[in-house]
Amino acid sequence: MTYLFSFLFPFLVMMLFLWEISRLLGLRFKGITPTLGLAAASALAVATPVCGLPLGRWLISLNANFSIPLFAIVLSRITGNIFYRPLLDKRAVDTCAVFFLISGAVLYPMALGIGPFDPYGAGWRFSWLFAGVLVLTIGLLIRKNRFGMVLVFAILAYDLNVLESSNFWDYIIDPLGVVWAALRLAWPRSFGPITPKENNRGMR
Amino acid sequence: MSRRLTKILIPVALILYLWPLFQAFSSRHKAFFALPDRAPKVSMENSSPFMRAGFIAPDMEGSRVHAGSICKLPDGRLAAVWYGGSREGAKDVGIFSAMRKPDTGASWSKPRLLVDRATASRELDRYIKKVGNAILFAGPCQRVYLIYVTVTLGGWSGSSLNVKVSEDGGDTWGRSRRLTLSPFFNISELVRNKPVFMTDGRMAVPIYHECMGHFPELLWLDATEGNHKASYRKTRMAGGNTFLQPSVVPRTPLDATAFYRCRSEKRAMGTANTTDAGASWSEPRFLALPNPDAGLDVVGLSDGSMLMAFNDTPVGRENLKLALSHDGGKTWRRIATLENSPGREFSYPYMISTPTGQIHLVYTWDRKRIKHLTFNEAWVHGQRPGGAQ
Repeated sequence: MTYLFSFLFPFLVMMLFLWEISRLLGLRFKGITPTLGLAAASALAVATPVCGLPLGRWLISLNANFSIPLFAIVLSRITGNIFYRPLLDKRAVDTCAVFFLISGAVLYPMALGIGPFDPYGAGWRFSWLFAGVLVLTIGLLIRKNRFGMVLVFAILAYDLNVLESSNFWDYIIDPLGVVWAALRLAWPRSFGPITPKENNRGMR
Repeated sequence: MSRRLTKILIPVALILYLWPLFQAFSSRHKAFFALPDRAPKVSMENSSPFMRAGFIAPDMEGSRVHAGSICKLPDGRLAAVWYGGSREGAKDVGIFSAMRKPDTGASWSKPRLLVDRATASRELDRYIKKVGNAILFAGPCQRVYLIYVTVTLGGWSGSSLNVKVSEDGGDTWGRSRRLTLSPFFNISELVRNKPVFMTDGRMAVPIYHECMGHFPELLWLDATEGNHKASYRKTRMAGGNTFLQPSVVPRTPLDATAFYRCRSEKRAMGTANTTDAGASWSEPRFLALPNPDAGLDVVGLSDGSMLMAFNDTPVGRENLKLALSHDGGKTWRRIATLENSPGREFSYPYMISTPTGQIHLVYTWDRKRIKHLTFNEAWVHGQRPGGAQ
């Protein structure tokens, strides 16, 4: 299951990439058949061997553990593009970006050697990290913030062990997610959620 | 998000968190260091001192070798691994192994390629630029483990660790498994020294981090499950930017001493202690032994003393010596000079001791060959202080 799941993120990124290319070319994907065609082309692309490795595994060579919130961000972008219904609304995307930035600022410097404490150690088994994320999840769900739903999927993915990592941190944050969050902070219009108005840009 | 969905998701979240909570409680048990079994002190091997030297791999023109490791297989044979190629970090570097029958007169088998970048890439299903340090050891359940370094991008700070397991004593090997040990692209984790074993079937493998900080860590690997199911985690032994490549010697079921390679300007070996079976470690302190930012290794002897192989110089790796400690590693007495040739390199010692009191030491011999010394405790105790060759 971990191996098959490893193709999912590259597949979603490829789908998003092909959609953006087709949008630049003035093509419009709406409806089931063109969307399935786009999905099939994306699946074929990530499975195509390049120098002996499927294209999707080249992305995994660089980072084997894409977090569930980053999955959700990419998926939301795709559903927003194709169905005009992003999975995550602006509030949830904002929350995700803040979550990435705060947890990234806590995790990475210390995990890479600044100070004697290693917060990454809290992700190997139930700890303050799990308790904290649970409290955050419930708080977000009570406030009807969809990022809470994403965090429920993160713990589900952890229980099912779908990533190569067995550390809970890797299910909730990854370096590319933090980069995305920083970019979104700098250029909110380019890295924000898709709206129907934005979606129609460039279409003929 | 509807109120109904919220009402469903909150209990679902609570239930999903019960699983890691249950796992944490079910695996909560006290583990101790499994001290090595010792044969009766008076054994044939121990009675008269001996020391034999030889090379494991033949001298191959133009080939550079480094980072040897040795272990006793479940069937009594000896196995060694090292990496070799046109130069350290080159794309043609492979991890080689050789075996030897237990009798002391036997010779080493022809080296066999265990892993190179092509096989690692195929088994791990990802791009691998190069392979590096490897250690070999026999774990519980008759399994033999190979833990080795691979790099996808950049230099050694881009390293990740992988495990390969043999279920038949090192004759055939299973598929490699990548270990995720760092949150930042899973890089900067390396291995060097031998593991220590725990009473609950886990193994504590000394590893180290080499990126923004340089520090020693322990990889806790569960040996009760097969390679691809075995759980693992890591703990940090110390922070900072000074010490790495820990060598851990258990003294009692709860106490152990670690010795560190030093990369600071002080150029002195580091040490730390644990009194809770490796769960926590004291602040590292410097020993009165030099260290030229090079690997070292320590083994415990049957009388409770410790034997260290190290480069006895703050600069360079031109000599290799043995030192003995009778006070748990606090003070050391140099007992033998194994190598001393200016301009050459003798480095990365790796030592094991067998239940019958034999000690096997392998080390890099001028980057051209891996040298293997076999001696017994009687030979160690017969050496005169000062370390004449």
